[in-house]
Amino acid sequence: MPPGMGGRSDKLFFYALLPFAAVTVALFLLLFKVLVGNSLPIFLREGFGFIESSVWRPSETNPQAEYYGMLAPILGTFYSSIVALLLALPASISLTILIDEYAPHGLRGHLVNMVEIMAGLPTVLYGLWGAYILAPALKSHVMQPLNTYLGMIPLFSCTPTTPSTILTAGVVLAIMVTPFMTSIIREAYESVPLIYREAALSIGAARYEYVGIMMSIIKPAVLASILLGFGRAAGETIAVSMTIGNSFSISPCLFKPGYTISSLIADQFGNAGFYHYMTYALYGAGFLLLLIGLALNTLGLYLLVAWRRRLEAR
Amino acid sequence: MRGIMSLTVLAIIVLAGFYEAGVLLSTGSEGETIVIRGAGSSFLQPQLEAWIQGFMRYDGKIIVEYQSVGSGAGQKQFFQGLADFAGSDPPLSHDDWEKYRGKVLQLPVILGAVAVVYNIPDIPKSIHLNLTGEILAGIYKGTINYWDDPKIKSINPGIADKLPHREIIAVHRSDASGTTQIFTTFLRKSAPSIWPKDLVGKTIDWPVDKTGRGVGGKGNPGVTATILSTPYSIGYVELAYALEGNLGLAAIRNKDGVFVLPSPRTIKAAARHALESGLMPSSPEDDFSGELNAIIYAGGSDSYPITAFSHIIIWAKYNSEAKAEALRLFIQWIYTEGLNYIVEGYVAVPPEVARLGLQASSLMEG
Repeated sequence: MPPGMGGRSDKLFFYALLPFAAVTVALFLLLFKVLVGNSLPIFLREGFGFIESSVWRPSETNPQAEYYGMLAPILGTFYSSIVALLLALPASISLTILIDEYAPHGLRGHLVNMVEIMAGLPTVLYGLWGAYILAPALKSHVMQPLNTYLGMIPLFSCTPTTPSTILTAGVVLAIMVTPFMTSIIREAYESVPLIYREAALSIGAARYEYVGIMMSIIKPAVLASILLGFGRAAGETIAVSMTIGNSFSISPCLFKPGYTISSLIADQFGNAGFYHYMTYALYGAGFLLLLIGLALNTLGLYLLVAWRRRLEAR
Repeated sequence: MRGIMSLTVLAIIVLAGFYEAGVLLSTGSEGETIVIRGAGSSFLQPQLEAWIQGFMRYDGKIIVEYQSVGSGAGQKQFFQGLADFAGSDPPLSHDDWEKYRGKVLQLPVILGAVAVVYNIPDIPKSIHLNLTGEILAGIYKGTINYWDDPKIKSINPGIADKLPHREIIAVHRSDASGTTQIFTTFLRKSAPSIWPKDLVGKTIDWPVDKTGRGVGGKGNPGVTATILSTPYSIGYVELAYALEGNLGLAAIRNKDGVFVLPSPRTIKAAARHALESGLMPSSPEDDFSGELNAIIYAGGSDSYPITAFSHIIIWAKYNSEAKAEALRLFIQWIYTEGLNYIVEGYVAVPPEVARLGLQASSLMEG
């Protein structure tokens, strides 16, 4: 029995909570089982080909000819998420410092509220805005100049033709994960014990030196926010599907359309029943996504917990 | 103690909610009204909604519900017994028909067309670009890359000097769809030497994607939006989306070599020629899997070549007599009164097909 359980009412309370907790755990296990069970056929059939090749070959009439290789969506998932993180990380660190160090007291609360609201907005709004307003603007004001002046760099080497590209999806994702990462970093920043702050100020550190010292203290939390932010970005479906171009292509260039695992599943699940192996393939892709997410989230949470423990131990 | 109190209150509220729902459900089935549930094609939905509203105004006792979940999911729900009828753009595959032979009836309820639309700022919308199956196949294969390709110029002599030297962006559906099946069937039939057999289906591995000039949009709205925001792009959508007038509409060369625009007249003509060809099934119990082949790229100088039927699939026998009767009434209504409720962008089936549909309602048993 957990500690502090004495009275009858405490026990009752505990038993009342138990079913809800049990249901949550059971649901997760069930989800895992369903994913494994349904993706097994495709892994057995295609083996490593499923993740090594980039093929989308459905066939209604001849299941033997069906083949699914997820390399393009796998790479697209990483590519768009990494672009998002590269943009979101400096933004969230700056936002944290701005809110905690520079913003006047009256404005601070409003800024914090705004960040929280942005984190909670329905993702389809970001998708709509990204597809109709951001994408054309990015194409003419960012992609075209980059291509003209920095075209020798492979990332910018292709002439931008469509507004829906890896870069567009990356920017939309960056805007979506920035509030999320900001709350993690800000929470860590604010939980640095007062002694450290006073110590830094007492040696006569300038504002930016002080911020530098603080940032070095919360480095693990920043790393954790990157990993958790990646999980967020990789799992996003609708906003990505509306901006990435949904094309089975692999290219180092940022101005080409691509695909992600999440948007592929969202796109194809409705009619997958027409095919013999497609449902398995989509479950398989979902399973890959779960593995990636699980690994990164575990690592991120582990880093956060370890860091908190270290702070407390000192 | 307070924790327990609030939990108890919560439990009561939840239980009350269930009870409420239970009461609502039971009055639904005990009353005189009969509910028919359909699921499937999203293409069919606007038309079916118009029919359902008209029919329910005419017959107050039958409630028809339709969920737009996609043709594939609709067929699945129908066979699993979750839906009383399926709305499906493509008819049943030969294998499925064989499996349920004699037990299912297929009804072509409406005609639709796939329009080829483009966004070329240099060409006014009043001028319609001429295109052929070979050129479209070349574009989606990635072998015709520029709008001023000699092949495009030669069939558009009037605007040949206006066609820009710009790369063509080929937009396609990113989700599996009957529209893609119709379009790729047309590419295969009109350009068999360019478009291979394994690139025909509801979702395919688009060769143009490999060149980085292929873009996928989800659903007809997604494709339309992508074309609108992408200058020098081309794509295919259901006719209703092309009629909104924001995009250029292409005239497509039919089997007789005439360039035709999609319109009720040219779509009906394609259906008539398909019927005359003798390739169309003559009973709802027949195998419809060859129907697409008959109507797409059909003969006749006035036929629009990318035309297709959309279907309702029903059981020949239902467990409940009342349900069968209700469905029978609904189907009879669609093929008689329903002809006055055709939504823009759709075209009513010719009388020969309506007769086939009415025949189905007499084949049904309760």
